Amino acid sequence: MKKSTHTGIRVTIGFAAVAALGLTACSSDGNSGNEEPQALEAPFAAATPRAAGPVESVTWMLGGEPTTMDADIDATTADDTILANTCDRLMQVQPDLTLGAGIASSAEWTDDTHVVLTIRQDAVFHDGSPVSTEDVVWSMKRHAAEGAAESDEYQNVVSIDQTGTDKITVTTTQPDAIFLQAMAGDGGIIWNPRVIEAEGDNFGSPSSASACSGPYQIESWEPGSQLTIVKVTNYWNTDVQALAERVVFRWADESAIANSLKTGEADGAYLENAGAAVAFMGSSDVSVFQGPSTNAWVLETTDRGALTDARVRQALSLALDREGIAAAAFSGLAQPWKTPVGAGAWGYEVDAFQQAFDALEGAPAAPSADNLEAAKQLIAEAGAPSAPLVIGSNGSSTHNVIANALVAAAKAIGLEAEILVVPQAQYGDFYSDAELRGQADLWPDEYYISKNDPLGFYKNGKSTAGVNFGVFSDPEYDKLVEQGYAATDDAKRAEITIELQKRWVENAVWIPVVATPATLIMSNTVTGVPSSAAYIYYPWAVDLGSSKE
Amino acid sequence: MIRAIRRLGGMLLTLVVSSFIIFAAMFAAPGDPVTFLIGNPENMTPERIASVRAQYHLDEPMLLQYWHWASGALTGDFGQSFHYHQPVIDILATRVPITLSLVCYASLLLSIGGIMLGVLAAVKRGRPSDTLIVGSTTLAASIPSFVLGIAFVALFAVQLRWFPVAGAGSAGMNRIYYLTLPALTLAIGALAIVSRVTRQSMIELFSSDHVEAARATGLAERLIVRDHVLRGSWGPIITMVALVIASLIAGTVAVETVFGISGVGSLLVDAINTHDFPVVQAVLLFMVVAYMVVTTAVDLLLPILDPRIKQKGVSA
Repeated sequence: MKKSTHTGIRVTIGFAAVAALGLTACSSDGNSGNEEPQALEAPFAAATPRAAGPVESVTWMLGGEPTTMDADIDATTADDTILANTCDRLMQVQPDLTLGAGIASSAEWTDDTHVVLTIRQDAVFHDGSPVSTEDVVWSMKRHAAEGAAESDEYQNVVSIDQTGTDKITVTTTQPDAIFLQAMAGDGGIIWNPRVIEAEGDNFGSPSSASACSGPYQIESWEPGSQLTIVKVTNYWNTDVQALAERVVFRWADESAIANSLKTGEADGAYLENAGAAVAFMGSSDVSVFQGPSTNAWVLETTDRGALTDARVRQALSLALDREGIAAAAFSGLAQPWKTPVGAGAWGYEVDAFQQAFDALEGAPAAPSADNLEAAKQLIAEAGAPSAPLVIGSNGSSTHNVIANALVAAAKAIGLEAEILVVPQAQYGDFYSDAELRGQADLWPDEYYISKNDPLGFYKNGKSTAGVNFGVFSDPEYDKLVEQGYAATDDAKRAEITIELQKRWVENAVWIPVVATPATLIMSNTVTGVPSSAAYIYYPWAVDLGSSKE
Repeated sequence: MIRAIRRLGGMLLTLVVSSFIIFAAMFAAPGDPVTFLIGNPENMTPERIASVRAQYHLDEPMLLQYWHWASGALTGDFGQSFHYHQPVIDILATRVPITLSLVCYASLLLSIGGIMLGVLAAVKRGRPSDTLIVGSTTLAASIPSFVLGIAFVALFAVQLRWFPVAGAGSAGMNRIYYLTLPALTLAIGALAIVSRVTRQSMIELFSSDHVEAARATGLAERLIVRDHVLRGSWGPIITMVALVIASLIAGTVAVETVFGISGVGSLLVDAINTHDFPVVQAVLLFMVVAYMVVTTAVDLLLPILDPRIKQKGVSA
């Protein structure tokens, strides 16, 4: 998974700007601003309506400046939004977040530790050279090299060997059912070794040549200003007819993105913070779309004190007002959620996951009288903690809303709780610094996984997992995780994962809060792109076209 | 000659001391760069943390880390950005021109506007237009630049659509068009101080003997203002304008963020938030150098404009 990095000052300024925008909106259409804040709703689907025709040039906003096009060094969300269009991968995530074929036309597990990939022989790099099976092996080895950003995806891999003209056999130490999912991410990008070797240290920088084979390539990259991608003429995959000739990327903070869309200077943006889309609800020029993602806000727990008792965690989960949080912190553009990972993780067996989700208890949208009674009962059994609970926050409005909601939940069931504000720049250290964790019982954060398989999240409940901070240990759970990784059959894996999900939620290992769907704002003149989180890996610009013929 | 050497030595010392203070401040700031360097919480194993620390020399004592940085900086190597994975010097090279054009534009606006308003207030001293100028510029100075920026965007860019909402534009006229709102935002806050200093130093001269003498010769008031009052007031005015300009560079931090301009100001904010030590260090040093350059330039300029000043200066 990757963390998004919101910056404190930007958040503050962003809110002020949205407020200013709201003021001008009110003055222009004469609406009164005194109405009750209501939960807003945007169309929820995997993709926006199909485009009717091609489009010459589209301006797209990013939340930050692209850093490097070498995904093995690092890839921010901005980098990924571009790389998705310029680079082909072994596998390909589809707009509905299921897994499709990429440079590998098929992939099959021959036994528990061997997966055989069949490589298409008709793909061509941007420099005109063919994508050979050797190039694919080279790329995978580069991703797997120690210190490479995606090397964790290859941690179970012992060897990558070419075993035929178009065959690669990957040998793993243990079954790894989500390895192929990872091959649709940055760990599956196919590089052109000749370009990377020729560029040396310069590879990935603004002046570097393209080492990819995707439907678009970078035409120009002016650091500090803009980056333009242009449709590749004669893209090797003739099934793909890209609609947008050119996409110009610019970047700014949230309020400037909103203003650019509002004035028509930009045509679209995938937002990191759903709440920023509120300015466009009811706009006649710009539409808001939401779609599945794996993102969810959670309250992560530590073994500092009372929360080592599962009953206290369960009680807090029962008493938390998730609907209130969704309305106050996200203007209704988030959904009260029962699990710690969003529906975008359901990349297979969607119905089974949906049914299991519906049947879950323990994380109500809004606590009923019965829920509160049950929570108080749990506290009575566990015994009230001697010290107040401490909730971490970084002072951003979202963190504060969630932290305050938890304080209210604790009060409702007779517990004391207080908030510890940690500077923005230090907040991430909760993951790396045990001493800091020792100061708080819980801290809210947005968590997401990069593979569309819930197993990739629930592995974090293993007693040895790095982000299991000592509150949960269950040998049976650990065994189930291993069985899940061994289950290359989707139905079987879904069954095991659903059991893991049940145990996680029952134990409230982390307390689920809300799911934050992928949120897209787009001018009504263009359409077609996915509205799901697929935009970080799927070549979304090929679907981007004019809404009129 | 000795003066020049002494001056240069002083500047170098200032640089060394400030670079050390900046380094120490970043070092003491809360938060661990390793968290940002690894990014993915699931990869934050003790082994990985240790290896990243070693890779970036973060496990060494502060003085040694400072030495690594300083010895590189002496040879012109300011290191690699933790966040952009590019040489810091390349990153600055694309952003410095943008910030400098913004600051120059704002300086032009504030010197012309501030001095004109100051002259007007001094000439009309005690009258309603004087009160209006003093009052309105003081009011403008009390609005924080990021609030003013947001209001400008809302009004002139979003509502009236006279100006673009974000970005720095490409070169030439296009850049001037894009930078007008940000430059105005930066300049308005400084109008008060420049106009006030102009007004005050002119008013003092109005009652001085040589002005009275000139008036007694029957010289037109317009010429008295231009040749005797304003001319005699240049010293404090230019000193003040220079100090204001020097501080504008730091003022770009908020304005660039509001207007979505990728200059050194917004770069600094991001770099601080992501613990990008090499970039923070380089940007702050750039600001220190810019400050010294502006103040030194004024010291050299003042004696030319006002022969009464020979050896005094504002100095860095």
